[in-house]
Amino acid sequence: MPIAETKIVSARFDDPEAKNIDAYEKSGGYRAARKAVRMDPAEIAEQVKASNLRGRGGAGFPTGIKWGFVPKDADTVYLVVNADESEPGTFKDRHILYWDPHLLIEGMICASRALRVRNAYIYMRGEMMREYKVVQAALDQAYAKGYLGKRIFGSDMDLDITIYRGAGAYICGEETALLSSLEGGRGWPRLKPPFPAVKGLFGKPTVVNNVETIANCGFIVEHGGKAFAEFGTERSGGTRLLSVCGHVEKPGVYEVTMQTTGREVIEEVCGGMRGGRKVKGVIPGGVSMPVLLPDELDVPFEFDALQRDERIREVEVHPGQKFDLGGGRTLRTMAGSGGVVVMDETTDMTKALWRILHFFHDESCGQCTPCREGTGWLVAVAKRIAFGDGRPGDVELLADIANGIAGNTICALGDAAAWPTLAFLTKYRDEFVAKIPRAARAVTGAAAALETSP
Amino acid sequence: MTALKLSDEIEQKIAELWPRFPEDKVRKVLCLPVLYMASQQFGRVDEEVIRLVAERLELPPAHVRGVATFYTMIETGEVGEFHLQICTNIGCMLEGAYDVLGRCKKRLGIEKNHGTSADGKITVSEVECLAACGYGPVAQIAQKGKPDIPLYFEKLDEKRIDAIVDALLEGRVPVELGV
Repeated sequence: MPIAETKIVSARFDDPEAKNIDAYEKSGGYRAARKAVRMDPAEIAEQVKASNLRGRGGAGFPTGIKWGFVPKDADTVYLVVNADESEPGTFKDRHILYWDPHLLIEGMICASRALRVRNAYIYMRGEMMREYKVVQAALDQAYAKGYLGKRIFGSDMDLDITIYRGAGAYICGEETALLSSLEGGRGWPRLKPPFPAVKGLFGKPTVVNNVETIANCGFIVEHGGKAFAEFGTERSGGTRLLSVCGHVEKPGVYEVTMQTTGREVIEEVCGGMRGGRKVKGVIPGGVSMPVLLPDELDVPFEFDALQRDERIREVEVHPGQKFDLGGGRTLRTMAGSGGVVVMDETTDMTKALWRILHFFHDESCGQCTPCREGTGWLVAVAKRIAFGDGRPGDVELLADIANGIAGNTICALGDAAAWPTLAFLTKYRDEFVAKIPRAARAVTGAAAALETSP
Repeated sequence: MTALKLSDEIEQKIAELWPRFPEDKVRKVLCLPVLYMASQQFGRVDEEVIRLVAERLELPPAHVRGVATFYTMIETGEVGEFHLQICTNIGCMLEGAYDVLGRCKKRLGIEKNHGTSADGKITVSEVECLAACGYGPVAQIAQKGKPDIPLYFEKLDEKRIDAIVDALLEGRVPVELGV
């Protein structure tokens, strides 16, 4: 079954009553939090480790291990929930925030107990005004019941949760940029190490976790890490939310099993391709992740398979030259943020890439030259190809610029622009070449011949 | 000293957030929320507003200016009474966002992908992803002086964008068309 039978994070979607704390409790809510506040913090952390929960924001890093980096003797530890969902194609966290805000709060209580947190923050993207109101109302209800504040649930634990709103900057979803923003500055990423778990918000140990990641914590506390792990694969526990957009019959947010393949997502979960047209390409995890061809869709859409399955081609810089991810590792694709973009046979891939690059250029924070300048060059070259003004050598130029950005910036935004560029060129090269006007291409051939002659 | 004054709502927000952050960090922390709210109160953040925020929070104006110019939701340029923001990113583009944007620009006589109608009332901008990709094309509307219009306008087509533009021309945000 592609759709998860046990819904861990989406059970209350579409139920307008669930925002109300009484209805939430009636359906089993706050049982995990009541249990957590009386548990030994180390035991909760142990359960999360055993659950094989991996970060749902993009990187897929094991949550328990991330928590383990926090120094045991730290006097102040912060928890920050990353609700800055902005990666094009991704709209799952917005659903949790809007439909089930108490699930997030409960998860935060559990995580805060495990990490000995006194002050936790939700960094929410500024555009989400509707969601901000819903989550703030839920927080107010929780405070009124004594589930937040001093001595919560009558235990010895104090916890305050505060929403801090962003104001329109994709980069603030990067965890160190988020911390810079939450401290009241420009959203500038910081070099790692030091990692936030050691030196984060206000210089104190800080755990930054995605909304969906934290929303899973209640289940893990209530039912144990093992039960959670069993839903998933060997190295990745639980279920996952996918947000699907583009040319399918039923776009939307779905909780699926880790074993679900891309083809199942399209055919079974989303009711097939719209109008019966053929699929041309699928981006599996937000637009920064390499695109998949139709014959690469029988791979499970989960963290390990998308990275390693040999049915997915390796991304190249130029034909025959594999892209080096660092240390000789090659790049296929990644599960990212679960934002699935489905494009049918009518899609102009040169325009799709141009629009994606336009985004990264717009959102570059400007700190690192390769990204600040490079994304501008990428979008300029991609635009002239897409709109019929391509010049001889533009396809090679695009690839060289992308390769020059990747791995040379403080944060991953540079890679996020480079990877889709190289993937689109690897997989739809003929379409890009064909878009360059004939006259220009003829010159390319002649020029190339001249260059190679003695 | 400036003649401008921050609104009661902003002072209330300052009071509310103050105890939630370390005493020696909170002034800087408040810079972003205060600037955002000031942007709505005054319609835009110009040098005078930057000085006002800097004085209130005892921060260097250069820091406040740096923050103000970094975030797109803090208006630093001239915008109309209404600011209609249409996403054209990949999910919305696949659903025809450029047709919707084009229709809007045509109706309001705006040439570029960011511009204001001749009467200065309605600004239209192409914006980046609004995280509602499954329901595109998507737009949001900001209104001067109104801090919270919680509406996204989803699944736009020519008919729906026409109705939205009609309402804005009448001087109101079309609440009935939101989600």
